[in-house]
Amino acid sequence: MEIAIYGKGGIGKSTVAANLSAAMSMNGSSVLQIGCDPKHDSTRLLLGGRRLDTALDYMRNTNPPDYNLNAILATGFAGVGCIEAGGPQPGVGCAGRGIISLFELLSTFQLKGRYDATMYDVLGDVVCGGFAVPIRREYADTIFIVTSGEFMALYAANNILRGIRNYDGSQARVGGVILNRRGIDDEADRVQAFCSAVGLPVIADIPRSSAFMEAEAKNMTLAESSPKCPEAIIFDLLAKAVINGVQKHEARPLSDEDLEHIVLGATFSEKAEASGIAGDIATSANLPACIEAQAKNSFLDFSSSKRYLSKSVANGEALSSCAFNGALYVATQIRDAVVIAHAPKSCVYISYNGMGGTGRRRLFERGSLLPSSVSPNLVATDMGEPEMVFGGMEKLEQKVAEVMAGKPKAIIIASACPSGIIGDDIDQARALGNAGTPIFTLKADGNMTGDYSQGTMMSYIELARQVIDTRVQPEENLVNILFERPSYRNTPELFEAVEGYLLAMGVKVNCRFLCETDYESLAGFNKAALNLLANDDYSTRQLKGFFETEFGAKFFGRKLPIGFGDTVDWLREIGGIYGKQDVAESIVALNKERYEKATSRLRASLEGKRLMVVTYSHDLDWLLGAAVDSGIEIAKLCIIKSSSDEGFRTKISDGFFIEEDYDISKREADIALLKPDILLSNYTSNAPSEVAVVDALQMVHDTGFFAGLDYIERWAGLLALGLRGEWENDERLFNQYYS
Amino acid sequence: MNDYLTSITPDGISGALFALEGVAGSVVLLNGPTGCRYYHSGISERQILRQKQFDPLNFNERFFFGQSRIPSTFLDSGDYIYGGRDKLVEGLEYIKEKLPNHKLLAIVNTPGAALIGDDLEGIVNNVFSDIDAVLLETPGYSTDICAGFETGALALLETLNPQKKPVVDKTVNLLGLSLFQKYFKGDLAELKRLLGLCGIKVNCALCAGSSIEEIMDIGAAALNIVVRHEYGIRAAKYLEDTLGTAYMLCDGPPIGFGPTEDFVVDICARLGADPGPALEDCGRARAAAYMHVWRLASSVGLPRGARVAVEGTYSEIYAYFKFFIGYFGMLPQAACVFCPEMDGMRHKTEELLAAHGLSGLLGRDIMSDGESELVFASGATISRLVGAGFRFVGVENALPSMGYVDVIDKTHLGVAGSMLIVEQVLNGLLF
Repeated sequence: MEIAIYGKGGIGKSTVAANLSAAMSMNGSSVLQIGCDPKHDSTRLLLGGRRLDTALDYMRNTNPPDYNLNAILATGFAGVGCIEAGGPQPGVGCAGRGIISLFELLSTFQLKGRYDATMYDVLGDVVCGGFAVPIRREYADTIFIVTSGEFMALYAANNILRGIRNYDGSQARVGGVILNRRGIDDEADRVQAFCSAVGLPVIADIPRSSAFMEAEAKNMTLAESSPKCPEAIIFDLLAKAVINGVQKHEARPLSDEDLEHIVLGATFSEKAEASGIAGDIATSANLPACIEAQAKNSFLDFSSSKRYLSKSVANGEALSSCAFNGALYVATQIRDAVVIAHAPKSCVYISYNGMGGTGRRRLFERGSLLPSSVSPNLVATDMGEPEMVFGGMEKLEQKVAEVMAGKPKAIIIASACPSGIIGDDIDQARALGNAGTPIFTLKADGNMTGDYSQGTMMSYIELARQVIDTRVQPEENLVNILFERPSYRNTPELFEAVEGYLLAMGVKVNCRFLCETDYESLAGFNKAALNLLANDDYSTRQLKGFFETEFGAKFFGRKLPIGFGDTVDWLREIGGIYGKQDVAESIVALNKERYEKATSRLRASLEGKRLMVVTYSHDLDWLLGAAVDSGIEIAKLCIIKSSSDEGFRTKISDGFFIEEDYDISKREADIALLKPDILLSNYTSNAPSEVAVVDALQMVHDTGFFAGLDYIERWAGLLALGLRGEWENDERLFNQYYS
Repeated sequence: MNDYLTSITPDGISGALFALEGVAGSVVLLNGPTGCRYYHSGISERQILRQKQFDPLNFNERFFFGQSRIPSTFLDSGDYIYGGRDKLVEGLEYIKEKLPNHKLLAIVNTPGAALIGDDLEGIVNNVFSDIDAVLLETPGYSTDICAGFETGALALLETLNPQKKPVVDKTVNLLGLSLFQKYFKGDLAELKRLLGLCGIKVNCALCAGSSIEEIMDIGAAALNIVVRHEYGIRAAKYLEDTLGTAYMLCDGPPIGFGPTEDFVVDICARLGADPGPALEDCGRARAAAYMHVWRLASSVGLPRGARVAVEGTYSEIYAYFKFFIGYFGMLPQAACVFCPEMDGMRHKTEELLAAHGLSGLLGRDIMSDGESELVFASGATISRLVGAGFRFVGVENALPSMGYVDVIDKTHLGVAGSMLIVEQVLNGLLF
């Protein structure tokens, strides 16, 4: 049973909720009370005045992998479980968004079922999508409205009914009205008139009494402080009624005019008789931004061992780019699906430019086309001011209908920050799909879910879960290639090389998950018995775990090969698996002679030269191997913290010095100390003239047997000629004319 | 290939950011996630050379994330609940320490930040008591780039509140130039050169490289020239209302020999200057171009009758087509309109096309046309057309670029721009 207590601010909801929780618990029901108010005092009377650390503060200060329910859940009087949402100070931030985040957190702890009843004590009336979350159908099954006889309290009660009506239509979930008297004239008549008009019973009439003040002074509920007093007996009776199941009623709010007429107009007894039960349903019941909001985020499952989080999210680091962008990038790789970005124009334009850069440059420099980059199947809802205020679901539904008309293989909807803030529930749009065009959703909510990597992970996981047909049986000699990076300039060449090696061994690629692929290949993912990882970074390792756990996927132990040693090992192992060692050896032999000839020649000029590397890259063997084979001595590897990877990896046992989490301000001193001949960095900087070669390490490197050799060849040439380039000296002029 | 991208065009927040980045010495702080600033920072770094970039020692991870322009407060989900005040304060303190010589501070909210409603003014005043800050709390969620640019420019003028100055004879301000325009630097240089030939000095190029001092002095110009209607008309009207400066709305940006001649003649007439030297300069260019065009025409008949499509705002489409029709004798095939709600030049464009029997062309989508031999568009559109299998020559006239790095300043405006277009047209029709 899940109960939501709503009512005007200051009406006594928390007192009612706490006393009802205590009474239900005393009647044998296990109860969890969740305070959904930033002032976080809902559970005070159950906890003897103790204030809980709030869930939102906890989320703010704790990294997701460390989430622990016990840090926010306390046990109060009679075993009532207590949680406080908390939230921002008045006038700042978005408390409604806080409620959405709280429910996301609670869903990860899988609290449902642990208690007989959950009591949501919710701030004020339903002012926005966030505060409406507890009355969404998957949460509260019984809603009580607390009111006094004051007009504004009844006005708020009526507003709450409007909010419920927006969700439920004619469904019945309202348990009734709890009259918490303020002692004004005709109070019971006013409330009764209202209830008659809206067709609700007054299920409890709580008198204004000093018993409450006395109990509150002791930080107790009545059940603990004075269980025999008349007010405690009222709660006891109410608790029994709730436990036994109260009759539910449809929300039938009044128009403002009717409300004023009934509550402020003639004599109350006349109105109660005249207005009857039916009342008028407001015709303009459009509450501002009464939007269903998401609360269930299926891909984050903190309560189990399966935690698929990007490095930045897991470690609480500053987020690089956003999950929305990452989600779009991956989703647009399914070439016969259409991706709808539920977002303002700005978010989509920015993402689109990021996606298109690689494709445009590739087309410009190489004349080859990357369709998903230059022409992604991407449309936008262009959320504007009206959607920010009234919710964007209508616009999303319109866009879905527009796209459905083109009959794409599938529609994938991804959401940006504003959608998450106002609480649009894009999952609802799935119902608009059909067998010919199913609809899938990626609730990225901009960067609320995390960074770019988190968005790509979300896309991979959600699309795998939603699309892959688990009934498909594996076939022989088929492999999938997973997690290629569509944004990398060399991805097509790496794929071509690997596909060539595989075809030589009689093996075909079934699905490129997800890179320039199609819906059919994705659905038939399970046809391949073996999966090849394109990378071996932090995210890839997380995702590998996901596929192993949820799909029983078998993985080859190596990422796609880069560099001579890596390619040799990869070919030999793959050849071993498919009984094609001879094919592998012939490919190796073809390339080995050329490689050895080149490194032997380079040794003549590079033997003993010292290399210092300052880089974000955590996997450099493709280059280090070629350097060592060419006689270069590695002076030091300085590994800068990366937002996408961690744990430097090398199989080269040269004993060189590696410093991880390198502080780049140490660079000058290290150069002076180590005196490298060659300084290689991701971004080159001024280096002393004693450093003969200053080179830039591209984040994306070449592929195959000879990756790395082009760098070494260039260094050899520069060292032989002693060239740095005269342009370097013109910095003085740049500073003079441009800075 | 698809036609799904029609609504994904340059946006209002980009316009606002680029307007404020166009003020020399400005620091524009984006109050929002990091993902909302990488693109703008990259464009700004490329369009105006100001400092070396890429060195992590110069711009560390927080706020700048390795890029020198448009720091951000890297808001995350917690900030959407609690507000972004702490990060804003920290960011402002960082800017104060890291960039002490900046002349203007601006803060622009992203859509998400706009929804949580941080008190930007109060926060800024706590950190900087001695500097005016341009604050854009709601720059627009789904507006077009021109609207965003004008919003940014107006906010700048309202914040700085420049006063009327004694008018300096034969001086103008240039409005409607933006660093988002592909050849922004070359455009400005060419207009300054042409006007200079007529003895006219450019006093201020609003949001296009001028300094705070020049903007504060904007009231000293005798005339405001609105080069691109869509990017400058609101600022021109504001300056007319507040400072009494008259403005001249260009008949589209001066693209082509004839329009350039009209441009200088009109301005000179308004200011009592002599257009002679600029007209002579243009005449010499026409002469040089003539022989090249003649050779093409004599060998393959073109450019007469060559089919051409253009992507741009109404004023840009008008200007390109006027040149293509009038000078080359080319046949417009399609036009893709950016910022269609900024339609001050729409009627004129329709009139131009109707006069040549081309009514209805403005509705013909560049992506479904497929018959144009030449397409003047952004790199994004050109690459999509290539992807769609069309055979044509693409000429970039807007960002994003295909990737070519321009070291020499180029322009499509004025005499130099006309010559470049002649060159590009000829090289697209020799096949």
